[in-house]
Amino acid sequence: MHARRRLELIIERMAAPRACKVLEASGLTGYTVLPAVSGFGGHTRWSRDADMSASSDMVVIVSIGSDDQVQSALTELERLLGSHIGVLSVGEVQVLRPDRF
Amino acid sequence: MDIALATLLSPIVLFFLLGLAAALLKSQMTIPEAFAKGLAIYLMMSIGLKGGVAISKGDLGWDAGLVMASAVALSFLLPVIAYALLRFTTRLNAVDSAATAAHYGSISIVTFVAAGQAISAAGLQSSGYLVAVAALMEVPAIISALIIAHRGAGQGENVAGSDRGELAREVLLNASVVVLLGSLIIGWISGEAGMKSIAPFFVEPFQGVLCLFLLDMGLSAGRGLRNGWRQLGPGTVAFGIYMPLVSACLAAGVAALNNMGTGDAALLITLSASASYIAVPAAMRLALPKARPSIYLTLSLGITFPFNLILGLPLYIWLARAISPGAA
Repeated sequence: MHARRRLELIIERMAAPRACKVLEASGLTGYTVLPAVSGFGGHTRWSRDADMSASSDMVVIVSIGSDDQVQSALTELERLLGSHIGVLSVGEVQVLRPDRF
Repeated sequence: MDIALATLLSPIVLFFLLGLAAALLKSQMTIPEAFAKGLAIYLMMSIGLKGGVAISKGDLGWDAGLVMASAVALSFLLPVIAYALLRFTTRLNAVDSAATAAHYGSISIVTFVAAGQAISAAGLQSSGYLVAVAALMEVPAIISALIIAHRGAGQGENVAGSDRGELAREVLLNASVVVLLGSLIIGWISGEAGMKSIAPFFVEPFQGVLCLFLLDMGLSAGRGLRNGWRQLGPGTVAFGIYMPLVSACLAAGVAALNNMGTGDAALLITLSASASYIAVPAAMRLALPKARPSIYLTLSLGITFPFNLILGLPLYIWLARAISPGAA
């Protein structure tokens, strides 16, 4: 097994394409976008079924890459999160096929 | 009084109240998200087609063009008034005020559909081109609010990952504009003969589908209120009720100047008094991401929409009758 960084970004759906562009520009070789159902933050509960416009829906973007790739994405993602609602975390993971990341 | 009672006791309002009550009582009832989105598209297609067929019968003249131009001007103006009122009467900051103002210049298509049902029940006629007016009034308020935000709040920073075309795409090509205008044109081209072949799907089941959609709207409004009411101060809640009335009075003036019939005037007044909760919130998340959705969504969907549906519609029909007493 080989050590890599796993980046997890919970962000509002409308800003997800912006985040994906940042990840692609950072050289990360892939990411997956998952829907989030409901949650609590900023003194407010949110839920997918309370918003007809789906504009306040949240998604989770998961990506795995090398230290350099993730570091390069973090600077721009920090700027993105200055404007949009979201939570970013990075952790270490073990991958089977290192040439893919 | 009869219209008020008939509106309140109509199945669509009663289903909305059922959904609202269920959500406020924390019922677990839900309508699947994809199904609700399908219902919204169905309703927009249906009213777009009906409007297009009406236009194909010669419903579009210079008068209609003047009404459309006046409605666009109104949609540009309303956010300016809304912004001034919000800044003067509430503690909302400039960005939240601008984003909220955009919702009150744009329109709610479901309120428009409900108004169509209410004016039919009141024995009034309306013109098909009002559907085009509805589609045209979706966008100007967004532009107006962005100008206010950029001037008043200095919101114009370059957000990471953004591109120049994304906001224009969201504003001009959102589902409401594409489906409404597209269906209107299809209805216009295919005319009454074309409509006949699809009427069993788009005309007869319309009322039932509207009830289902209003049930979902009630659930959304109730859950939105439950989740976001703490964010709204008394001044903001009051704005959600008096702003539709301010808009209604301005629209009544525009309708009187254009010599509109009672049914058409009632629809224009309703469009102006309604607040968006689908197209504008999505545009605001892109254009003014620092504005709080818990304020503008709760206000437009949780306060203004129920107010318009339950009390506003009879009031707007009464207002339309007052300014065009001889017309029908």
